[in-house]
Amino acid sequence: MHSSKDSEAGNCSRREFLQRSGATFAAAGLTGRFGDLPPVHAAGSDEIRVGLIGCGGRGTGAAEDAIKAAPGVKLVAMGDVFKDRIEVSLSSLKRTVADKLDVPPERCFTGLDAFEKVIASDVNYIILATPPGFRPQHLKAAVAAGKHIFAEKPLAVDGPGIRTCLEVYEEAKKKGLAVGVGTQRHHQAEYIATIQKIHEGAIGDIIAARAYWMMGPIWVFPRKEGWTDLEWQLRNWYYFTWLSGDHIVEQHIHNLDVINWAMKAHPVKCVGVGGRQVRTESKYGHIYDHFAIDYEYPNGVHMLSMARQNRNCENNVSEALHGTEGFCQVDRYTITGAHPWKHRARAREGVPYLSEQEKEDHPYIQEHVDLIGSIRAGKPLNELKECIESNLTAIMGRMAAYTGRMVTWADALNSEESLVPATLDWNMRLPVPPVAMPGLTELR
Amino acid sequence: MHRSRQAQECKASRREFIRQSATVVGATLASGVLPGAYAAGSDEIRVGLVGCGGRGTGAAVDVAAAAPGVKIVAMADAFRDRLDKSAETLKKELGDKFDVPEEQRFVGFDAYEKVLAANVNYVILATPPGFRPMHLKAAVAAGKHIFTEKPVAVDSPGVRTCLEVYEQAKAKGLGIASGTQYRHSTGHQETIQRLHDGAIGDLVFARAYFNTGLLWYRERQPGWTDMEWQMRNWYYFTWLCGDHIVEQHVHNLDVVNWAMQAHPVRCVGVGGRQVRTAPVFGHIYDHFCIDYEYANGARMMSMCRQMANCENNVSEGFAGTKGFAEIIPYRKFVITGPNAWKFDREDNKPYIQEHTTLIESLRAGRPINELKNIAESTLTAIMGRMAAYTGKLVTWEAALNSEENLMPEKLDWNAPLPVPPVAMPGQTELR
Repeated sequence: MHSSKDSEAGNCSRREFLQRSGATFAAAGLTGRFGDLPPVHAAGSDEIRVGLIGCGGRGTGAAEDAIKAAPGVKLVAMGDVFKDRIEVSLSSLKRTVADKLDVPPERCFTGLDAFEKVIASDVNYIILATPPGFRPQHLKAAVAAGKHIFAEKPLAVDGPGIRTCLEVYEEAKKKGLAVGVGTQRHHQAEYIATIQKIHEGAIGDIIAARAYWMMGPIWVFPRKEGWTDLEWQLRNWYYFTWLSGDHIVEQHIHNLDVINWAMKAHPVKCVGVGGRQVRTESKYGHIYDHFAIDYEYPNGVHMLSMARQNRNCENNVSEALHGTEGFCQVDRYTITGAHPWKHRARAREGVPYLSEQEKEDHPYIQEHVDLIGSIRAGKPLNELKECIESNLTAIMGRMAAYTGRMVTWADALNSEESLVPATLDWNMRLPVPPVAMPGLTELR
Repeated sequence: MHRSRQAQECKASRREFIRQSATVVGATLASGVLPGAYAAGSDEIRVGLVGCGGRGTGAAVDVAAAAPGVKIVAMADAFRDRLDKSAETLKKELGDKFDVPEEQRFVGFDAYEKVLAANVNYVILATPPGFRPMHLKAAVAAGKHIFTEKPVAVDSPGVRTCLEVYEQAKAKGLGIASGTQYRHSTGHQETIQRLHDGAIGDLVFARAYFNTGLLWYRERQPGWTDMEWQMRNWYYFTWLCGDHIVEQHVHNLDVVNWAMQAHPVRCVGVGGRQVRTAPVFGHIYDHFCIDYEYANGARMMSMCRQMANCENNVSEGFAGTKGFAEIIPYRKFVITGPNAWKFDREDNKPYIQEHTTLIESLRAGRPINELKNIAESTLTAIMGRMAAYTGKLVTWEAALNSEENLMPEKLDWNAPLPVPPVAMPGQTELR
């Protein structure tokens, strides 16, 4: 189980975190006196009643993070396709946040429609943390039901899913619903400060960018006897594009998102290579183990993107920006060149993190601090749009690598390739798709 | 047969070619006798062709067109049939300039030695690149001027040999040109000169591409030994070809090194054998993407692919602190930014020009020596291949000092020569 989104760690001090939390409550005018939560929840209370949809490692972590993010947060309903995953999740949460759990058996829902039952419960804050293939459908249902949402990244695995997310974005805005997303670098003080410097021109105009997610392999669940096609694919979801989007979408989206954020734009086209070179056993489904994409932004700026999941290779998770007046190693919060700068949170605050764990946890909690704060202040955040664009950036890269073709933003956005089966049934035949072959796999 | 080094065609006008030739004639008349070891009292270029495949045959045609007083006089190939076919073509195309009687036609692994021992003063080395270091060494030892095809090696020991040969050739006053013809393209030269003059400020990011379709291949025939099949189907075996990042993409890597006036200091990369997996394709990859870093922090993104029905692109691009430059070989040379510029003439014929420049330099008594540049660009490509094959970060020192020698212990037509396993990043060792 991977309870955090990645191995990257923030550098924000504990004091800074507490200060910011305090500021959030002050802004909401809520310190010691909770007003009403707008707009859809139990009247007369600003209690955050969390419904968790998807109780794997990340969902469990997100529930814990939300609870730790502010007072008055309770987990009240849980949904997962598998009963055993709920049990594991619940027992893990009992060890860390037992007093904030109010999840009796009648509010633990299992099965393919569990998400509907969680949404129908008396919850006002939904955490969407299933495999991403389901996200568009879940987002749509949650917004239709008038819930605030924290959605894990990515938001979709294909063009049709992205278009659903765009509709949901508009709908949530109209309804005044808050939507936070799990691209936690946007809530990490060091990243925020660094990108701020870039936007202020600290390296001049950006002329090239690089984004990497190169690391070892992750968990895998080989098929067990008695598992149907669907059960195996759901339990081993990372290795099926309809569920994960492949690792360029599921994981590398973080780094692509940072570059889009810095560029204040998304790429207009891309060409790329990729393959399934080492991780070829059938338990690894049909996804690739490496990608390298050459993205181009509207002003002729290129981004080199590289993503790999192979054991015993050179690892690198980072983002870099080359500018007309300097260079920024974004993940190290460092600028060199005409206007050198380095984020010095610790020196300024003088209080180190209590532990490496706290340092790592910080942005994951902060994203809920910011989201809950915005709800309580009556100014709901809606982070869907930026994340959708970064998500489509990753999808277009996958399309380019899988097909060998040049893929434009419009090709990706308007793609009719729908990867998620229209209906699901535990006993349905669900063959593993063929591994993509550039030049043979069609661009659709 | 692939006569040119790639699919792009030269576009120089005939008039331009004639002008160039005339210039050469003028230079020739003034300079008289050719320096180096050959028939005294003559400045005739007596060419020995080593490697009579498509490219070698093409190079022989090119050298004959490059200057007056050039004759093809000896030929070598591992295979009789390749030599005969080449001779037939050359006789038809070159007429009197082709003068290779039967006793000057040599076949076998040692055929190159016999060409070097013949009365030649200019050898074209155009066998599969695995043999190049050995051939370069022997040719310089024999005191010959050399036109060497690219790449000049497939592994680090080979590159080290080339660097030694470079020094020896300098000491002996021998001329060496290499088949990185972009260095002889007017469009490239004028663009790179502008980059060196600061037209786009400091170069911070470069892009080099050789994304193209499939090449020729030869199915194994009944009766062919391992060695005969690999020699005839040489592109798909790293010991002979170096893989396509070395054999082909070296062109674009060379242009970026030229512009940067440096070679990279380290690299990391990905690659694989995704589509072209049939046994006829040996064990090489079909795609690479390498992230190179130069000593000053500048980067190069390198991408090369050999796949049918994909987006093709053979080009180089540069991002500088004051603008951008884009080069599509032979066709487009553009600088944007405050010093915007465009090469608006037709490019020359660099395949011919590379010989013209070499021959002019010989006749002027100031032999050029391009071996170091091409050795460094070859090693740039080899370190990229090493990074992709192993998944590791590879430094210039690691590549330069690698003990990985790909050449079989013995060149024997009948010895078993198994196809090496396909490289697996994380498992294939960096040596």
